[in-house]
Amino acid sequence: MARYGMVIDLDKCTGCRACMVACKVENNTPQGHFWMYVFRFEEGEYPNTRTWFMPRPCMHCDNAPCVKVCPVGARYKRLDGLTATDFDRCIGCRYCEVACPYGVNYFNWKKPEGNYYLDWDDPDLAEIVGDEKVVYANPDLDKAYGPEKRRIAGGGQAKGVMEKCTFCVHRLEKGLQPACAAICPTQAIKFGDLDDPESEVSQLLREKPHFRLLEEAGTSPRVFYIGQHAPNPSVRQIEEITVKV
Amino acid sequence: MAVQTQKLPYGIGRISGGWLLALLVALVFTVFGGYAYAQQLIYGEVVTGMRDIGTMAGAPWGLYIAFVVYFEGVSFAGIAVAALIRLLDLDHLKPIARMAQVMTVIALILGGLGVIADVGKPGRAFINLLKYARPGSPFFGTLTIAILGFLFGALVYLYLDGRRDAALLAKVPGKFQGFYRWWAAGYQDTPEARERHERASFWLALAIIPLLVVAHSTLGFVFGLQVGRPGWFGTLQAPGFLAMAGVSGLGHLIVLAAILRKVYGLEEQIDIAVFRWLSNLLLIFTAVYVYFMVVEWLTSVYSANTAEAQLLNALLRGEYAWIFWLSVVSLLIPLVLLIGQFATGKYRIGWLVFSGVLVNVAAIGKRFLVVVPSQTHGSLMPYVIGSYSPTWVEIGVVLGLMGLGALLFMLFAKVFPIMEVEEV
Repeated sequence: MARYGMVIDLDKCTGCRACMVACKVENNTPQGHFWMYVFRFEEGEYPNTRTWFMPRPCMHCDNAPCVKVCPVGARYKRLDGLTATDFDRCIGCRYCEVACPYGVNYFNWKKPEGNYYLDWDDPDLAEIVGDEKVVYANPDLDKAYGPEKRRIAGGGQAKGVMEKCTFCVHRLEKGLQPACAAICPTQAIKFGDLDDPESEVSQLLREKPHFRLLEEAGTSPRVFYIGQHAPNPSVRQIEEITVKV
Repeated sequence: MAVQTQKLPYGIGRISGGWLLALLVALVFTVFGGYAYAQQLIYGEVVTGMRDIGTMAGAPWGLYIAFVVYFEGVSFAGIAVAALIRLLDLDHLKPIARMAQVMTVIALILGGLGVIADVGKPGRAFINLLKYARPGSPFFGTLTIAILGFLFGALVYLYLDGRRDAALLAKVPGKFQGFYRWWAAGYQDTPEARERHERASFWLALAIIPLLVVAHSTLGFVFGLQVGRPGWFGTLQAPGFLAMAGVSGLGHLIVLAAILRKVYGLEEQIDIAVFRWLSNLLLIFTAVYVYFMVVEWLTSVYSANTAEAQLLNALLRGEYAWIFWLSVVSLLIPLVLLIGQFATGKYRIGWLVFSGVLVNVAAIGKRFLVVVPSQTHGSLMPYVIGSYSPTWVEIGVVLGLMGLGALLFMLFAKVFPIMEVEEV
């Protein structure tokens, strides 16, 4: 069985954030939720500064702190390496969120209806959609996946449950790439089977030096970065975004 | 043991104006808490001040979890004192055993309700926490041992300990007679029965002490095992939680004993010796906790990594400094007072009550500081520094829980003697 992983080439990333948009559209994530987030960094002192970018999906850790602490087994590891969230079982205690060092979990603080990636009160948008405020519902997001047959795909499923990046499990099971990897215009995000030595991701990791985020936390992430370096305290975010719900 | 009077002891069944007023106040708080919680049920937890860690720069655990931990801590001392009285044969302390047990039961109920208030799917939580229980999660220990198991143990202890009183009260005609008969469950105050009873409660008390240590350690593990949160990860969390539980619970018990002493005029039964014992026990726990605090503080001041240093900065002179220093002062003043009373041998109930209130202020402050800053300021990733301030809904629910606690205690005091009765 394939065991998936992601390799992100930071030297290729231009910080366009197309992956963030693709993720939101593909997964119907509610307002303010960024399963994929792209850090825009600046480092050095003027005039010797430089900027670089770092996409941050869920790390799908092999030794995932979130899986360990879930009291009901809603957050679990799949055989194919994915760290999945069963939103039908989640009780919304948010323990996974405080346990995760990467800040990738998003809780549905309110009923995720009419609350998606578009500002529905925007007058320009109102001209186009009229009274329709229903987002396109992808039927794939409601299906059960894997041999365990659990509903783990898509965002905005219910009030009071936890959601996060799924590596687009509904696309994987059709043989497609995750939305972020498929859309990346510079092909900085590569996705594939890390157990297959001939896969593109395996070859990349053999050829180039790479790192994982917070390696020292012992979480064994399945997302690898090549190029640049792990963010350290001298790295600053260019824009300080705090989103609201 | 003839029935001398139709009146039941300790004002059972007699409703006074003061009691009614206090009940009304507690009821108002409880109803307000219920209203606040209804808002949360309808609109979701968006009405709270909690938000996601990361791009939302918030704290997904807030006041609720801080108070769950606080209530759990208060519950600790009640049953610990009751068990110690039994194990060490501290006969002169018997008058406070019952109120300590009731305090434990009520604090545990409030802790459990706090968990329910916190989760996003309360209805589902009831089923799934049992149906899909995973012992690997520290929440499992908190729920099964610290709340449910402990509540069961405390209830059994309260029940057994109350059987003799119930048997005595059942002899007095009145509207609660049936209830007392049910509680007594055939208990006759014969020497054999008394002996059997003593033995049962001795073993139960003996079993409760290690259970206490385990329960409060698992509560510490909820935080102490998280490598991804600076400020949480550490060996000292479990024993620190245990010590703080003792501090807050004993402080609570002192205040409670002083209030009941005043209300019921129990100057003879709850004499200064009782307070001296409670005071010295509180002194031990406070000293141990202050020691833990200083050790932890010195370690991180001396050699903190970047993330720990950022957190420490927020605590010592940043956003949380006022809570931090308020808590430290609220611990040190009682410590000095308790040492002074111990050294001089003169114990003043007024100072003790003052100490009891202060250590509880410190307990609430320290619980908040354990839970929240590690989420807002303890990120290992380069996110924006977060912030958290509770909304009226969270404050309302917490006040409602406190009101409910007071309400339950007052109701209990009107149907069952709050102190062991000698004779009816």
